[in-house]
Order: sequence, then C-alpha cells, then structure tokens
Amino acid sequence: MREFFKKNNAAVIVALFAAFLAVFAVLDAVIPDRERSELENRELAKSPALTFDTLISGRFSAKYEEYINDQFILRDFWIDVKSRAESLLGKTENNGIVYGRDGYMFERYVSADSRRISNNTKFIGQFCEKYGVHTTLAIVPNSYMILADKLPRGFENLDQRPLIGEIYSSLEGADGLDLFDALSARSDEYIYYRTDHHYTTLGAYAVYCEYMRSIGREPVSLDTLTAHEVGGFYGTHFSKTKLFSAVPDVITWYEIPGRSVEINGEPADGIYDLEQFGERDKYAAFLHGNNSLTVIRAEEPAETPSRILLIKDSFGNELAPFLACSFDEVWIVDLRYPEIPVSSFMEETVFDEALILYNFMNFAEDANVINITR
Amino acid sequence: MVFSSLLFLFKFLPATLLIYYVVPKKLKNLVLLIASLIFYSWGEPKYFPLMIACILVNYLAALVMERHRGKRAVLNWTIAAAVVFDLGALIFFKYSDFFISNINAVFGSSIPLLRLTLPLGISFYTFQTMAYTIDVYRGKIKAERNIINLAAFVVLFPQLIAGPIVLYDDVAAALREHRLDRQRMLEGVRLFIFGLGKKVLIANNIGALWTQTRELGFANISTPLAWMGIIAFSLQIYFDFSGYSLMAIGLGKLLGFDFPANFNFPYISKSFTEFWRRWHITLGSWFREYLYIPLGGNRRGYARMVLNTLIVWAATGFWHGANWNFLLWGLLFFVLISIEKKWLMKYLDAGKVWPHIYVVFILILSWALFDITDMPSLGVFLGRLFSFTGGSDWLYYLRNYAVSFAVAVLFCLPLVQKLYDRLKKYWIADVVILGGILFLSVAYLVDSTYNPFLYFRF
Repeated sequence: MREFFKKNNAAVIVALFAAFLAVFAVLDAVIPDRERSELENRELAKSPALTFDTLISGRFSAKYEEYINDQFILRDFWIDVKSRAESLLGKTENNGIVYGRDGYMFERYVSADSRRISNNTKFIGQFCEKYGVHTTLAIVPNSYMILADKLPRGFENLDQRPLIGEIYSSLEGADGLDLFDALSARSDEYIYYRTDHHYTTLGAYAVYCEYMRSIGREPVSLDTLTAHEVGGFYGTHFSKTKLFSAVPDVITWYEIPGRSVEINGEPADGIYDLEQFGERDKYAAFLHGNNSLTVIRAEEPAETPSRILLIKDSFGNELAPFLACSFDEVWIVDLRYPEIPVSSFMEETVFDEALILYNFMNFAEDANVINITR
Repeated sequence: MVFSSLLFLFKFLPATLLIYYVVPKKLKNLVLLIASLIFYSWGEPKYFPLMIACILVNYLAALVMERHRGKRAVLNWTIAAAVVFDLGALIFFKYSDFFISNINAVFGSSIPLLRLTLPLGISFYTFQTMAYTIDVYRGKIKAERNIINLAAFVVLFPQLIAGPIVLYDDVAAALREHRLDRQRMLEGVRLFIFGLGKKVLIANNIGALWTQTRELGFANISTPLAWMGIIAFSLQIYFDFSGYSLMAIGLGKLLGFDFPANFNFPYISKSFTEFWRRWHITLGSWFREYLYIPLGGNRRGYARMVLNTLIVWAATGFWHGANWNFLLWGLLFFVLISIEKKWLMKYLDAGKVWPHIYVVFILILSWALFDITDMPSLGVFLGRLFSFTGGSDWLYYLRNYAVSFAVAVLFCLPLVQKLYDRLKKYWIADVVILGGILFLSVAYLVDSTYNPFLYFRF
C-alpha cells in the first residue's frame, strides 16, 4: 500500500483533485435548488432566463453567477466553515457587522448621505404644512450610539448625535424628540437586540414613554400588561455575519386586549402574527410585518375617539402596541409600501397627534420618505 | 469570468478539462479555443468581434511576411499595420478617456468621455500578439499556418486575464504535442491550489483592511492606521497578482503547457533593480525585448541609453493604468534604478539589513502612489503617514488583522516554499496541505463578502 502511493503519488493527488471538482460539480448540478435560506433569512437567487438581449448585455452572466453562488451545494456548511476560520484569524467583523462584547453585534457605519437626510427633513416639513396636525419626529439612535461600552476597543463609527441635532434644528413645523438621554439612562438594560438592528420592546417602551411625556400624556405602566417571551431569535445582523457562536435574542411581547386590527382595509387577526414567532423571521410577528396602512382600533372607544398617526419604519412595529394602549385609534403608515397614499385618508380623518418614527440609518438612507407628501 | 469563482471552479473548469482530455489530439486545440472564447466573452459578449479581429489581423500579417521574406518594403508595411492595429486597440479602449479629459482640461473643450469598459485582458493579449508578429518579422519564429493553433494561443484562458505574458515560442511546441503527463499535472494541481489560496485566503483577507481605510476617509484616520492600510495594500497586490499568475501557470500545466514564471519572492529584494527581476517578470522581459532593444538599448551611447530607459519606465507605468499617477509611479522606478546603476548598487550589495529596509519602505510608498489616483487625496494620505496623528482606531484594526498580517508576511519569504518542498515528499502531508487550502478557499468563495477583481484597468 505504502509502496503503491510512493510510486503513484502524482496520480493519486491529481485524481483526488479531479474527484473533488467532479463530485461537487455533479452534485451541485443535480441537487434541486432551494427557495430561501433560513440561515441568512432571505430568498436565494433563481436560475435567470436566457434571452438574446440579456446575454449580449452581460446581465445574464452576472445573474447566473449570483445564482451559482446562492445555490452552491452545502452553502450553509461552507458559511459555517468560513465563520470558524475567521474567528481563528482573530477577526471581529464580517460582512459589515462588528462583534462587540457580550454577544452584541453592530453595523459598520462610517458615513451618512447628507443630501438624503436634508431632503427627507424637507418632506416632513411639507407634510406638516399641508395638514397642520401636531407632528413629532423621533429619530431613534442605532444601538452602537447607546451601548458604547459594548463596542470593541478602538472601533469608531459615525457619531449620530450631532447629525440628529442638525435634523431637529432644521425641521420646520414639527417637534424633534431627543431620545439619547432616555435610552442612555437604561443602557445597562436589555434595550437593543444583540443579533438584530432593532431595539427590544423594552427600548421601544422607553421611546414611547419619552414621546408620551413630550405631548403631555401619561404612558401606560408595563406592570399592567401581560408579557410573553419568545427565545431563539436570530436577527438581521446574524443573517449577515452567520457567526457560528452567535448568542440568540429573546423577544418580549405584551398582550394588548380589546383591539381590532385592519391591514390595508382587510381585517387581521390581532396585533401580532403569533405563528410568525415560531418562524426564523420572528420580528415580522409585530403588526404582521410591514404593510402600507395598518389601523388598530379599541373595541370600546371613547365618545370622541382619540387618534394618532404613526409614520414609521420597522422600529415602529414594536412601538405601535404601546400607542394602542394610549389612543383609541392608531393609524400606522409605512411609506416604503405606498399602495395606500397618505393623502387618501388625511382629509376625512382627524388626528390628535402625528408621530414620525425612524431609526437614524434608515432615515439617512430611505428614498421613500417623499411618499409622505403624496 | 475569473478563476476565483465557484462558476469557474465547479462548472467551467471541470467541463473544459473533461472534454479536453477525452477528445483526440487533433481536436484538443479546437476545444481549447472554444472554451477560451466562452471564458473571454462570458462577462462582455460584445467584445467577441474584437478578439476575432485581433486573431485574424496578426495571423494574416504573419503569413504575408513569411511569404514575402525578401521584400523589405512589404515586411515593413505589414509589421507597421499589425502593430498599429494591436497598439491602436489597446490605446483606444484603455486610454481614450484619459486623453480626452486631458485635452478638455488644457483647451477648455468639452469632448464627451467614451466611458468604455475595458475588454477583458486586452493589455495582455495585445502584447502577446505584437510579440508574435514582431518575432515573425524578425525571422525568429515561423508564422503559424494553422489558424486554430494561433487563435488558441491568443485567447488561451489561463493567461488571458492577468498574465504571465507568454511568447508564441513558449507554447508552439506544446500546442502540437499536448504533453499531458502526470508529473506536469501534479505540478499544475499544486500551483493552481497555491495560487487560489494566495488570492482568496491571503489577498482578499488583508485587502479588506485597505478598503476599510479608504472608506473611513484619509482625513479621519490615525497615522498608525494609515501605515497599516498601505502595508495591507502592498501585501494585497502582491498576493492577488502573483496568486493569479500562479493559478494561470497551474492551469497551463493541467493543459500541457509550461508558462514562464512571473513572480519570484519580489519583497525580499535588496534593490529595485532586483525587485523588477522578481516582480511581473514577463512584463519586464517584454519591454526589454520589444521596446528597449528596438530603441537601441545601450548600444547608442550613454545619453541614448538613459533616454531609452526613461521611455521604458514611462511605458511600464502607463501600462498599469490610464492616469498620471501610474506614469509617475513608473518614473519613480526610472529614478531609483538609475541611481542604483550609477553609484548605489555597490553599497546595496555590501549591505545586509538596510537594503531590505530601503526597498520595502520605498515600495510601500510607491504603492500609495499606485493606488491613490487623485493627487489631492494622495497628499492628504502622505500627510497622515508622515505628520503624526494620534487616535485609537488602529487598535481595533490591529486586533482584526494581526494574524492576517503575520500570515501574509510569512508567505512573502522563501522559507515557506522550502518547508513545503520538504513536506511534499510525504504524499499524506501533500494531500492535507493542498486539500486544506482548496477546502478553505471554497468556503471563502461561497461566503465571499469581499472578492475584488483588481485587473479591470490592466
């Protein structure tokens, strides 16, 4: 045996190399494609259609390579191997996500688009001028701004504080709600998820309390609400890094009884999509995910029902249930889904308050804020 | 298509090798040609006719010269036409916008830029076809009558994108004989896997640091981070480029070719004269053979030799990219090598440690000149390097990249090569090393968050 290998080592190694390529090439071609990746929480690329135009323009080639990568055999296994190798190299970052202390993950975020920010701020001013409702803009700082002691040493990200200050001072017709103090005061509590870019419901509650006080209303006490916990939550940061040693998060949600919910005009089953808590994308349980227009109504409203308009990104999904405790009707708009334009209901609906809630990164990037004027 | 992709590794390569090995000898070059044309056209099918034209022009020019050997005028006109075509294609696609924007700047005109995407590998294959036709003109080689053989040489996929620059003489015999023996194939497997590892595991890993440094903005970084960033780029470009060359040579051996070596541990050089004998060797040889010597080399007096050297280095710099900084980068080496030739060399030869420091230090700065294409940013960056700016940002990056730095520096030394030469006698060790590199490279390709293609401007 040993003699055989000694004599034929060239043939053996060449054959092993050929076998490695051949086995993976054949299996990769034979094994059926997956629709989505649970690990990465996203749809995987499908085989692109071949036409003369897409071939000549090179678009087919680009799409096809994406498809090959997404559908490569044992994709999740290879990702795990890379994650372990990276940790051996001492890397504390992958795919734009930085690993902090105690299992916290943060986005690398070194610059913001100042033109987009100033445009978005102007659109909000136009909205206020058009409808005259008392409006508050609340920009939630992202986790790395508040959890400074969880950041790795020497890691520097964009300072959002002066930028949020500038937005508030240039804002016309609306009040800016400063959230740094309220969140920093609770920075040793579990107010942001470790593996996800959102705040936790506790963080949302802190923002809610700050907002209620700013409009002179009393927030509901958490003790009066029944809490439920769902563990095993791997969020968006995890989906990007796929870190093998990630610590999953726990989602707490609060029962809000006596409310009916309507999504895009159709009745929905409660504020939460409870089945979604059993899936990979657990955050989508809040408000059944992002929808154009969601209305939460008290089943026994006051004679003149109190109404609030919440224009939000996904950070609003965790906050809306608390607002539902304080207002008879909460109208929730996600401008990224403009099927039902704001102008279609603003004339005939009287709102006591309007709250525009975004996290900073999204406010600085989202190109859909213009829909607030439509 | 690039080698460091799953598409190449698990679709193109197995299919091509299988068909190439199975078909009878007569058809092997045709298979090679078709596979190479697919490889070339994959990303940009619109440049397919350009390649065909390039093959036809040089094929016909060589045949014409061969037939009219005795007629000086025919020979001269034909070679001029072929070189104008090759060089013209290169200049048109690579340098048009550079010239237009400079004309606009000088005359205040506003000629619109063409914004052409550079045809894959044009800087390499035009040099190869020029060398072929010039060699036929000189009577050094015979014109190839079989168009398939010549076409296969021009578009041969292993060295199409990033060299080595192969002469027809290097491959003519292999194109006829198809030397597919197991020892050559073993060497091919080894070199290919090492090249893949250099590119995917080392160059991509360390290169991410330079990209991050650029994203932070040169005005916002500390002096230590600026140094770490440019050292990271110095390592990235070496491992990227030499890794690619190694993959090409390995693939060549799997197909029965012996391409010339392109890199030989350049970072251990003790002078820049030595560095350019170890860095991108085939490019240096090309410029010597097809530019320096035709200009008269050193046979027309000292002044003419200095001028010739100047022209060669300006061209070398400019070949690397259509921008002023590349020209300056080339001229920097003209200055350094001239100084070395005149008086520094004897001291460098005598020195032990300081010549290495001299080479590495200036090289690192030269890479800043190479990669930062606009002069104001370069000024800011050099300011960061030399006027100390404190900060703690480098702590984070040192923690992240310390191991990668150590690995990369280690692999710049011949030590690792010697170690492997010993270990490869034990076939199990060989299998473990090669298998490990291949396995990890595939994992990094599947989850490739950073896999740049540095040759888009070559």
